Amino acid sequence: MENLVFLEKISIDPPREKICQRLGYKKSTTELSIKQKKATDHFINEASDLISLQGMFLRLAITQNDSDRVLLSNNLTFASRKLAAFLRDCREAVLMGATAGNAIMAAIQEKTHLDELSAAVIYDATASEMVDAGLDWIMSYLNRQLRRENKALLPRRFSAGYADFQLENQKDIYEKLQMEKFGVLINPSFILLPEKSVTAIGGIY
Amino acid sequence: MTESAKIKNLLKKQIVILDGAMGTELQKKGMSGGACPELWCLENPQHIKELYEAYQNAGSRIVYTCTFGANRFKLKQYQASQDVYKVNFELAELARKTVGKNILVAGDIGPTGLFVEPFGPLAFEEAVDAFKEQARGLIDGGCDLIVIETMIDIQEARAALLAVKELADIFTVVSMTYEKDGHTLGGTSPQSAVITLQSLGADAVGCNCSAGPEQMIDMVSAMKPYATVPLLAKPNAGMPLLKDGKTVFEMNAKNFAAFSVKLAAAGANFLGGCCGTTPEHIRALKKSVERKKPVLPRIPSICALSSARDFLEIRENEPLYLIGERINPTGKKALQQELMDGKLSIIRQMAQEQKAQGASLLDVNIGQPGIDEVQTIKKVIGLLSTAVSLPLVIDSSRVETIEAALRLYPGRMMINSISGEKEKLVKLLPLAAKYGAMFILLPLTGGNLPRTAKKRQAIIESIFRKAQKFGFTKDDFVVDGLTMAIASDAGAARETLATIHWCKQVFRCKSVLGLSNVSFGLPGRPWMNAAFLAMAQYCGLTLAIANPASAEFMNIKKAGDALTAREKASFLFINHFSQQTAPALATADAAVKPEEKIAAAIMEGDGERITTWIDEAMRSGLSASRLVDDFMIPAIVRVGDLYDKKIYFLPQLMAAADVMKKALAYLDPHLKKTTTTNKGKVILATVRGDIHDIGKNIVALLLKNYGYCVIDLGKDVSDEVIIDTAQKENPDVIGLSALMTTTMVNMKDIIHLARAKGIKTDFLVGGAVVTDAYAKSIGASFARDGVQAVKVVENLMKKK
Repeated sequence: MENLVFLEKISIDPPREKICQRLGYKKSTTELSIKQKKATDHFINEASDLISLQGMFLRLAITQNDSDRVLLSNNLTFASRKLAAFLRDCREAVLMGATAGNAIMAAIQEKTHLDELSAAVIYDATASEMVDAGLDWIMSYLNRQLRRENKALLPRRFSAGYADFQLENQKDIYEKLQMEKFGVLINPSFILLPEKSVTAIGGIY
Repeated sequence: MTESAKIKNLLKKQIVILDGAMGTELQKKGMSGGACPELWCLENPQHIKELYEAYQNAGSRIVYTCTFGANRFKLKQYQASQDVYKVNFELAELARKTVGKNILVAGDIGPTGLFVEPFGPLAFEEAVDAFKEQARGLIDGGCDLIVIETMIDIQEARAALLAVKELADIFTVVSMTYEKDGHTLGGTSPQSAVITLQSLGADAVGCNCSAGPEQMIDMVSAMKPYATVPLLAKPNAGMPLLKDGKTVFEMNAKNFAAFSVKLAAAGANFLGGCCGTTPEHIRALKKSVERKKPVLPRIPSICALSSARDFLEIRENEPLYLIGERINPTGKKALQQELMDGKLSIIRQMAQEQKAQGASLLDVNIGQPGIDEVQTIKKVIGLLSTAVSLPLVIDSSRVETIEAALRLYPGRMMINSISGEKEKLVKLLPLAAKYGAMFILLPLTGGNLPRTAKKRQAIIESIFRKAQKFGFTKDDFVVDGLTMAIASDAGAARETLATIHWCKQVFRCKSVLGLSNVSFGLPGRPWMNAAFLAMAQYCGLTLAIANPASAEFMNIKKAGDALTAREKASFLFINHFSQQTAPALATADAAVKPEEKIAAAIMEGDGERITTWIDEAMRSGLSASRLVDDFMIPAIVRVGDLYDKKIYFLPQLMAAADVMKKALAYLDPHLKKTTTTNKGKVILATVRGDIHDIGKNIVALLLKNYGYCVIDLGKDVSDEVIIDTAQKENPDVIGLSALMTTTMVNMKDIIHLARAKGIKTDFLVGGAVVTDAYAKSIGASFARDGVQAVKVVENLMKKK
């Protein structure tokens, strides 16, 4: 159960609708010329070519849930009422992580340096949405396996930094997931580097 | 008659009924959720026997062994990895002994749970080895056929199929699992999967699990036009639902059977059930389709290639297909050096550029002295399998390089090329047959170049006869017409064109040409090549190997496609050229004043000709400061308003800002001579510990465009640097950004430190987690986005 699974290449298409929504696109309001639409698509394609989506996950048994803290196997304790409530009906948790890689961050910096912020913001949004979609992909993948065990993942996931689940917890998740294997680092403020890297906790019941 | 032939015969006569779910049925019989089904069945054989009998009585003609997870990786989780052969053998034997002679036993192979090279950590050969270990037990245990099922990774499916085919000549079905979007989790479409797997030797291809039977109709319908083999469908009993902490499937047997009729009509030749189905579902299914005639494969062969994510069917009378030729180190020093250094970034770039420029396939040649070609091609195949969705053409003179590429590539490749040379035929035809590759037939033999079309035709026919012995059809290759230089033989082009014409009209196969050789040694080569291309298109050329970056080539190709009626109503031609001329048309309106064009360019975020219009406007007598104050600033303010109203979204705001900045930079020398609009000084920084600075960069650009002097200190800036700069520069406003809760608190420290040092400057804060309330609590103003930040700064300046 406690096998850390690395996913070296997650192949997904960029979620265009979500990327545009992230950039403020409103279907019924925003007016976009054909040329602007093409330019947006072009930058999304460029960004997605620069993104090397990788991920990992680790299933851990929930050994105790005290409603204000959750104890997992592997000596992991998370103090958070909201997380405890989220995992209330679960016997297992899954830690998961994903990263978009360094190349896209270098490209965003380069575009910013060249004062091409219109490209930089689309690159940035594409990377954010793709890394999030990477976690969706991991959840779908895991759900397929769980179905054979007559189990399922909770449809949502929980990340450090939300509600009372302090960002500091990201360090424990980072270490358990061995994210350094894919070149991801964590700084003293518990921020992952490259910037477009994420972690989350899911519940299995 | 072999067992395989019997199954094929059976499929011609009827829809073959499979069994239903195993896991959910065993759980009903007492198997716990965490148990290993394989070991549990060996310990409790009476339960699986009962299940087989139930499915047999319900009408299943084929039952699966309970070996879905009986591979070394899955069994390792139950400390049984050393028993792979034994477990598979015993469970196959148990099934064989339980069911009657008329019931076929399918050895069930499921996924390992690991992604296979190049998509994951499991080496391809290790995967093949693991599946061989499992398949050996199943075959020795008496299975009549093998079913590789529930695959989400096309490469793992390939590994399993190759493993079985390298062990025995046994009927093998491969079944993939698709998501709601119609692709596997690995991104493979049903069409790509069927092209890849049938060419690699699958006797039937299909889908199981996935969604319910309703969604599976679409998947079977998508596969059928491309399938040369029978199709399988084994859907769940509807979509899985979560109820009281358990996954349940609610579709009853009657409804399930009703969908099964539609699946049979769509072309499914094997029908059964997956998760949640029971013997009742299978009984109803059998009853509903037993009198239906099977829909046999509609085509005996297909001229198509595939990658892990896409496919290309090469058809007659379609626009000329382009094979991008750039991935070839000949004459390319930078690429040569990269290959020597073991790097691949240029190859990635070339692949993506050629795709964007209109290539349908990519030729891959890494032939270069001083490198290990086999290791290099494996790396290149790994890269291109994920970096680009176009199918590949492997181009090498070395057999081992071609074999390494064919074995690893997660799709159906084309070999460039197989000639009539005996050594090539003997080695490459069996390889192409084993891996199901297409090939370019090169009409060369005996070390001689056949000068005339007639001689080439004879060689083509001879190679085809030899290829037929390996099962190839005319859909499995394209003929190279052999382009030779007219500088050395005036009739060379005529003979090549005659060969292309013969391929199209007489031999009825598809053709390909590399074009540029025709003009070797002559001036005006692009024009000669272009004329040759147009003539070849008229003669019926199907594919060309060329550089898609060549404007001459692409323009002539589009024109040729239209003139030979390979596209309807010249739509592609019109679209191609209207894109090229649109900017010229858009700017043709001389009636619009240049200053109005400048404002419009900012509004539209189109800075291509802004400097020309600035020059025109200044020549007409407008000063730089008037241009800025009366036209540019109002335009950018209007853009900000449109952004506020959500009529513009962020890229439009930024594109306008980029154009504004470009225009201001161009006007800068003139502005200094007149009146420089410097509205104030702003220091910006993303605080200590935080690296998320895109928002801060947006604010910087917008403030600059509004005439502010911005000192951007960057990201992860220490408190001391911010304070020191403030003391030195005496700004009007200090802007701080932070994205995370852990770094947001640093804003408070900076403001405290500033006040302690006697700095009275206004602070503006922003970032994803920052709120108006938090800003007030630390004595700062707040802005939710870049446009609001400008407004807040303007208000702060007014109060001064």
